Formats: sequence, structure tokens, C-alpha cells
Amino acid sequence: MTTTRNPGLEDPTDVRAIPRRSVGQTLLASGTVLALIALIVFFFAMRPDVFLGFTNVRNILYQVAILAIISGAQTIVMVVGDFDLSVAATSALAGAVASSMMLGGTPVPAAILVGLAVGVLVGLVNGVLVAYLNLSAFVATLATLTSVTGLAFLVTEGTTLFKMPEEFNNLGQGRFLQIPLPVFIATGISLILWALLKYTTLGRRWYATGGNAEVSRLSGVNVRLARLLAFTVAGLVAAIGGILLAARLGSASAVQGEDNLLFSVAAVFLGMTVVRSGAANIIGTLVGVAIIGVMSNGLNILGVNSYVQQVVTGLIIIAAVTLSSLKTRER
Amino acid sequence: MTVTDQTTTVVPALEARDIVKRFDGVHALNGAQLSVRPGEIHALLGENGAGKSTLIKVLTGVYAPDSGTLWRDGEEVEFPNVRVANRAGIVALYQELSIVPTISVAENILLGEQIPSRGGVVQWRALRRRAREQLNRIHQKISLSRLAGELSPVQQTMVAFARALATDARVLILDEPTASLTDTEISELFTVLRSLRDEGVAILYVSHRLEEVFELCDRLTVMRNGETIVTKDVADSHIDEVISSMVGRSAGELYPDRTTVTTEVALEVANLDGRRVKDVSFTAHTGEVLGIGGLAGSGRSELLRILSGAQKHTAGTITVGDTTLPHSPGVGRALDAGIALVPEERRTQGVILGATIRDNIALANIPAVSSFGVVDGARITDIVRKGMADLKIKARSQRQPVGELSGGNQQKVVLAKMLARKPKILLMDEPTRGIDVGTKAEIYRLIRELAAGGTTVVAVSSELPELIGMSDRVLIMHEGRISGEVRADEADEEMLLAYCYGKAETDDHDA
Repeated sequence: MTTTRNPGLEDPTDVRAIPRRSVGQTLLASGTVLALIALIVFFFAMRPDVFLGFTNVRNILYQVAILAIISGAQTIVMVVGDFDLSVAATSALAGAVASSMMLGGTPVPAAILVGLAVGVLVGLVNGVLVAYLNLSAFVATLATLTSVTGLAFLVTEGTTLFKMPEEFNNLGQGRFLQIPLPVFIATGISLILWALLKYTTLGRRWYATGGNAEVSRLSGVNVRLARLLAFTVAGLVAAIGGILLAARLGSASAVQGEDNLLFSVAAVFLGMTVVRSGAANIIGTLVGVAIIGVMSNGLNILGVNSYVQQVVTGLIIIAAVTLSSLKTRER
Repeated sequence: MTVTDQTTTVVPALEARDIVKRFDGVHALNGAQLSVRPGEIHALLGENGAGKSTLIKVLTGVYAPDSGTLWRDGEEVEFPNVRVANRAGIVALYQELSIVPTISVAENILLGEQIPSRGGVVQWRALRRRAREQLNRIHQKISLSRLAGELSPVQQTMVAFARALATDARVLILDEPTASLTDTEISELFTVLRSLRDEGVAILYVSHRLEEVFELCDRLTVMRNGETIVTKDVADSHIDEVISSMVGRSAGELYPDRTTVTTEVALEVANLDGRRVKDVSFTAHTGEVLGIGGLAGSGRSELLRILSGAQKHTAGTITVGDTTLPHSPGVGRALDAGIALVPEERRTQGVILGATIRDNIALANIPAVSSFGVVDGARITDIVRKGMADLKIKARSQRQPVGELSGGNQQKVVLAKMLARKPKILLMDEPTRGIDVGTKAEIYRLIRELAAGGTTVVAVSSELPELIGMSDRVLIMHEGRISGEVRADEADEEMLLAYCYGKAETDDHDA
């Protein structure tokens, strides 16, 4: 190590002073993770016989698998500093298109591919509107949300499509080693997105863009392309979630999974409180998804009215985000 | 280095010829010329608003010029965007836009296209090694894995500088790189710059600090009002002549004569503590213009924000006349007590650019123009007409959007909306930032007229000549404390600069 000639620049909190924290330590330092643990302890204490039983844990995982995928899509867009109001609508459209093609006799793999292509297309449109035509993400994705929902109604002719082939429904309803397939798929997608964000140049450009778009642009990062790709990847991932939802429900309608929009934004916000940088990240998002899933399942087990559940979910999100903003203000 | 002639005709590394750039019909650049040779440090000088920043942005592909040409190593080039300019070896380091706060130091240093990767996967080891090499070149020990946003301002500057080095720049453009550095850090920076110059890098060095230019640079170019006034060797230049070519007139014509200051205390601040402000006490008198200086980060802007109620304070009192304000009063009560702030960031904090002059002024004066919660259009018209006439705001009508006005006229709108409240204490943060010289003189005259009319003006400025020229008395801040106080007619820049670095006081920095 070279000697530093100006003591004013020495950094008292350099690596040697602060040992690098492991992932576990980082997670524990966050109030959001503590909130999740508190929720689990609370529900376990209320219903020790049921809550942490294998069947119920499997239920929770099954219930949140699709939300985890949609939230992954939302995470990508929020990493670059935008957000996407059309994720849930895009997923419904992708599910509807794939289902309707299967009912028309298209082989399952081909129908799924077309559904995914629809998601990519919607993502591309969002990306062009936001990154190249400079519309605000709010206006652009609100508009695509509206049109995409309309398209989904056209595709389903306003009805609910069902009687899709058995092999398709199995994707959402089948199990492997007692665990529902959607749980594996959600885990796989989360891993891929996590690696994409953490280990690829594209992911690092996304973070740079979201952290300070102007500095990134002046440093030569193609900020527009980065944002376009973020929306496109989000469209694709949302489509995966939507197709899987259709398979799980064995049906497809224009409005299914609507809740996933707000829950996905909430999960990402909760997840942003988990890391020091305050940026969107997959691990944090999964913590957020877990909070939402555990709460909804636990309140169900306790027999709490579902409208009350909705009220409580909102309050918990406010509490977690407030706590974390207090933490950053102290710094 | 290509020498085309035995004498001194060197092919410039970067040359700009007859650059014209207009914004909304206003000339930011009007036939600017610049020629930077390989292996020289070339100073670009000029007042705020002279067109330096616009020229830099043309050189780096941020703006496309309306006309004129760029030449790189003797070949005509076009830079449609920053990346093309970067690939041509031209890198700018901006003072205010330096880092991405949410990613690591290592990534900040290799931001752009140089992230080492294999098949799209980041090679973290290589990335850290290359980032470390760049930090070593400037003798910095900064942890590579820290978030850049958690570093001190000085370290952030160093990270940004390391990034510029990492791109293997052949033409390095530095915009006020020493603004927040200490003397030791500056001399270290200069050592690095000189060694880069000796490697054949062309360095364009933008600074307001002429002493630095004379110490460091080989040649200088002076700009004024979007035009190149002169380019010459530093060795053949004299500091006074450079100043007069920057200003285009002598300082005496820019600033109005001082007026009488009463002994009546209008504002008394006692033992004020808050973020970046430590134990600050001072008084200001009726009819006085009190200048506050200090380096960036010294707490000067925060002090004004506390006084205006925009920022909380943890201890101390603020007294206007004989009324002591409640603790952390908030902007509303500070305004009621007669304290009004003209903020630093005009375009984001001072005016609503998309709204009309009329609406901007009315917004800050809703109680004065309404009765029983209903707004009275005729009263707005009166207030706005008076404000526009008093301040000589040049606009088509009251209903012209503020965003269409020049910087100077925008600043007058901010002043008009605050003056309509008839403040006893007018706080101004950088009153002439981004304003052309002619309008500057007008703003100084206005400040002086307000003082003569019995208003107390407290103005923060980063420009020492401005502090001396416009004020009756100057306070200098250093690390949150007042490090010096001096009558403006007895002040000189050197003395103020010493206070800025906290030198005149004892060296008891709190750890």
C-alpha cells in the first residue's frame, strides 16, 4: 500500500476499520427484515399448530410465487429509476394470448412463446415511450396499462378462458418433490435476475443509470438503451408470471392478477429499505414479497376479514418505509 | 506529437473554430475559438455566463453547435454524443456532476464502457484492480467497495478524477477541480496534472482562481459573452490584464457606491448550531449588505437556509428587530417575521419555470392578493406590474412563462416575488449565478437600493470580488464556523481566501 501524504484524505472507515458485512449481517441490520421475522414469530405464537407446518409454508410459497416473479420485473425497472404500472396488465394479456391460442389448437410451447413475445413487445413500447420519447414513466405505463387491458378484453372476448390442455395447467398446478412447480420457477427467475443485476455489465449499467442518469450519460453509458432494455426485460418477466398464473388458475381473464401491480411496487419499496444504497434489489424485493405473503396468509389463518387485511397491508408498508427513511435521515 | 513545422506550429489535440450556439435565440457562444495542444495545460477563463460551460459541452458532445467545426489532431470531427467524444479520447470532469452515489467506488471509476467483462459478466477482480491502479495514480486510499455516496465531497471529487484518468483520456477537461479541495490536495492534484501533461495529454483547465492558473498553466484563453477574447502564453500575461479582459470593464463600474449603514441591529444570530453550521453568532444592521463567503461545503448556504426557516437548527436563537423567532420556525413564520430567501438554485427552488411571471409572483403573495380565501385578480395585476416596473423585468407581458426569460430576468422575478412581501431581512444565495455581466451590475444596484431603503441584505457568494464589491461587511465561514469578519472596503481577495481555508484562525479543527 502506498503511503498517503495528506492526512486529510485518510478514510477512517476504510476496509480495515469496517470489516465487510456478510449478506446475513446486512439483512439483520435492516428493520424490514426484523419486521418479517416479527410477523413470523407473531403468527407462529398465535397458531403454533398451523402456521409453520409444512403444508402452510408450502401454501405461502405457492401463493407468493407469481407475485415474486412480477415483483422481479418491477425491480428491474425500479433499478433504473423508473417504474412500470403495466406489469400486471401485461401479465394478464400474455396469459390470455397464450390461453386463447391453445384453445385455438396451437401447441402449448408455441402458444407460450407467443405469450412471451407479447410481453417483450409491451415492454419495448414502454421503453421507447419512456427512454426515447421522454414521456414520464407514470404517464407512459398508465397509458399502456389501459390499452393492454383493453387488448386482453378483446382476446378473451370479455369472458374467462378455461379448458386449456392438461400439460399447460400442470405447469402451474403440478408438484415436484411435494413442492409446487411455480415455486421452482419463481426461484429460478429470481436467481437469474439477481445474477443479471449483480454480475453482468448490463445490470451494473442499470444501477449506474438509476443512481445518477446524468453522470452515467456523461461518462458514456448509453442511458436510453439501458432504460429501454430494463422495460423490455420487465415485460418478458411479467409475461412469464402471467402465463404461469393462467396455468395455476387453469383459466385466463383480462383482469386476473390485478393486485400484483400494487403489491409488486410495495415489495420493491420494502426491499429498497434493506440495503444501504437504498436502491431496488432482488433479495430485498423477495423479503418484501415474503412480508406481503406471510401477512396475508397469517391473517387468513387467524380468520381476519380480507378487507381488514388490505388495510393492515397498507399500514405495514407505510411503517416499514417510514422507519427506513428515518434511518437514512440520521446519516 | 506531430510537429508540422520546425517552429512552434503544433497540431492541436483539440481545436474549436467559430463555434456558435444559441438557446431560445440567446447566444451562449458567438464565434468561440479554442485550441489545446498536446502536452500543455491550457486555462479557460471567463466570468460565469461567459460561455465556458457551453463550450466544454460542445467539445464533449453534450451539445451540438449551431455552426462551427471541431478538429481532433488536425482532422475535422463531429461529436453527436458523449460516447463518440469519449472514444476520441476527450473526457470532461464536471465539478457538480461527479459520481453515482448508489454504486461502489470501483464501479464509479470504471463507469461507462470500460467495465471489464467476459461474455457480459463483470470481471470483479479485474475491475477492482484497474480501479485501484487509477486511485494509486492520484495517491488516494479509498475503499473500492464503499458506496460512492458515502464518501466525503473531497473523496467524491477524487473518484470522479480517477474515472477521467481511467478512460485513457488524451484531452482532459477539468471544470473547477479545486473548488472543494484543501491546499495540500491541490498541490497533489497539480503534481498529477503536470505528470499527465508530460505524458503528452492535453489538459483544458477551467478555474476562477487566477493564482492557480498562473502557477499551473502553460497558455490561457479568455472568454467573454460567448466570444473568445484572447489566447496567449501564461508567461507573457499579467494578472491585471487577464482580469480586465474577463470583465470587459473595471470593477468600479460593476458595483455601485456603498450607502450609509445605521447602527440599528436588524438581525441578531446567537450561537446557532445545525447541520454543517457550528456555533455561529453575528449581527446585521438596518441598511447593511452583509456578504457571507467560504468554500463549497463550508456551511454558508446551510446558514442561510436555517435563517430562512428552510432547515432546522439544533441550538441558538434568531432575532429580527426585537422579536426572537421560535425554535426552527419553518419558512412560513420566518417570512411573517420579515425574513425572505432568494435561493441558490433559481430554476428548481426560486421559480416555477413553466408558470407565468404573474403566477410566480402571486404564488408567494397569496395572503396579500386574496380576501376570505378568494384571489383578487386586480390586486395581482397591481403587485406584478409594480414588481416588473421596479426591477425592470424585460418580458412581453405578465403572462409570459418564466422559463422563456434570460437568467437575469428570472432572478429578477424571484426578487420581485420576495420583495412584494416587503421583507426586513433579504437573504440571497449566489445572487448573480449564471447571469450575464450587464444584468449583474443591475442586480448589484438593486441590492444597494434595497439597503438604502432600510432593508438588510445577507448575501452568500462564492466569488470573492463580488463579496468585496457588493457588501459593506464580509463574514467568511470555514467548516461551519465563522473564521473571519472584515469590512468590505478593507478587504482583499487574498485575505478572504486565507479565512476561507480557516488559516487566519487557530488550527483547532474538531476531530
